[in-house]
Amino acid sequence: MSAIRQRPPIPFPSNKATVSQAGQPADADLVARCQAGDAEAFELIYRRHAARLYSLACRMAGSPEDGEDLLQEIFLQAYRKLGSFKGDAALGTWIYRLALNHCLDFVRSRQAKMNKLTESLDAEAAIEPTGKRETPIARIDLDRALERLPDGCREAFVLHDVEGLDHKEVAALLGIAEGTSKSQVFKARLKLRALLT
Amino acid sequence: MHPSETVINDYVDEALESPERADERRALVAHLDGCESCRRLVEDLRGIRRVAGSLDLREPPVRVWSRIERAIALEPRAADAQGDARLRGSRYNLMGLAAAAVVALATVVGVRYGLTTRSTSETADSVVRATSDDAMSVEAELREAESHYDKAIKGLEQITKAEQGTFDSATAATLQKNLAVIDQAINESRAAVVAQPASEPARESLMENFKAKLGLLQDTVALINEMRKGNEAGTARIVSGLNKKG
Repeated sequence: MSAIRQRPPIPFPSNKATVSQAGQPADADLVARCQAGDAEAFELIYRRHAARLYSLACRMAGSPEDGEDLLQEIFLQAYRKLGSFKGDAALGTWIYRLALNHCLDFVRSRQAKMNKLTESLDAEAAIEPTGKRETPIARIDLDRALERLPDGCREAFVLHDVEGLDHKEVAALLGIAEGTSKSQVFKARLKLRALLT
Repeated sequence: MHPSETVINDYVDEALESPERADERRALVAHLDGCESCRRLVEDLRGIRRVAGSLDLREPPVRVWSRIERAIALEPRAADAQGDARLRGSRYNLMGLAAAAVVALATVVGVRYGLTTRSTSETADSVVRATSDDAMSVEAELREAESHYDKAIKGLEQITKAEQGTFDSATAATLQKNLAVIDQAINESRAAVVAQPASEPARESLMENFKAKLGLLQDTVALINEMRKGNEAGTARIVSGLNKKG
């Protein structure tokens, strides 16, 4: 049984921060309206951030069905906690952190249930491609192939290569050594290479 | 001799750029010039990294927000504590009714989970002793689950019947057709449970069909809400989903 780990602060990849579109109310205004009881404002927050968080949830969980459930839970939690949101961080950062925590809890809980050790994936990851790729990798193919990655290396890959976190941050979030993060990402890339060739 | 996994990975991650690792980088580049398999590996891994960093965002299905709205309708609201009743808009009345169905569904899932965990954790001896008790217990729990689904479904049926005039004839026909298919499946699986009360697949099938009906009715409520809001895109997405199920 694994010990409960102290969760480190979660960074927010700056290159993907949500930016308010011109003419749209700023996040801070929406938060203030929500806190004042404006239900429409919460829906606007959802519309603004749902795609980003749904993408994260689907990819971390490895299935759209789990992604839907996670997104629902993330926004319910956000609704419950919005009253205490002080604005110390941007809303996008706050809600992303909340989503990432939720996704990590989900994945850990599933791994614990399945008693699955990522170390056992070593042999499986070392798959050689069957042929030479002639065309560039399509985004949609890679997104689908992500679902076929084993738990463990998928989370490291999503956090590093998709979400843009560095290995130090990935290692801290997943509670693994930095070298293990590198190794898991490498395994995921090899596996994807085999799947996409 | 091929370079190590670490060096290739660091090269793909552009982590060999520092002056301290210049020698490693030079050695690797020289190796890549003469080794096609390593060169292809690096190109492929770089391509995967590049594409992964530019994946499209996925739009969640419309039903997710509808579910959140329904769940929020059940939440104690921050505004209530402040004596502010602005969240009590008319659109949430419908949500509140539908939310009761969701609660019922959660109860059913709880019942089913209880069944599974107990049957896998018992020892062989206690299973033998408890067989007849368990059979009665399973039947009772099945009846309870069925009753919860019935209540949830009836609640949602009331809403959808009251709002039936909202739909155009084609959408109404699709809904009716889908409901008829699910009802028939429910009747068939119910008959299978009666014929073979101990059959786990028959019970699973009945519960799955109840769940399918509940899902269809939830989608119908979501459709009503999108139409009320005048959200044409949301309406079209749900209707398209209903047609696919039909």
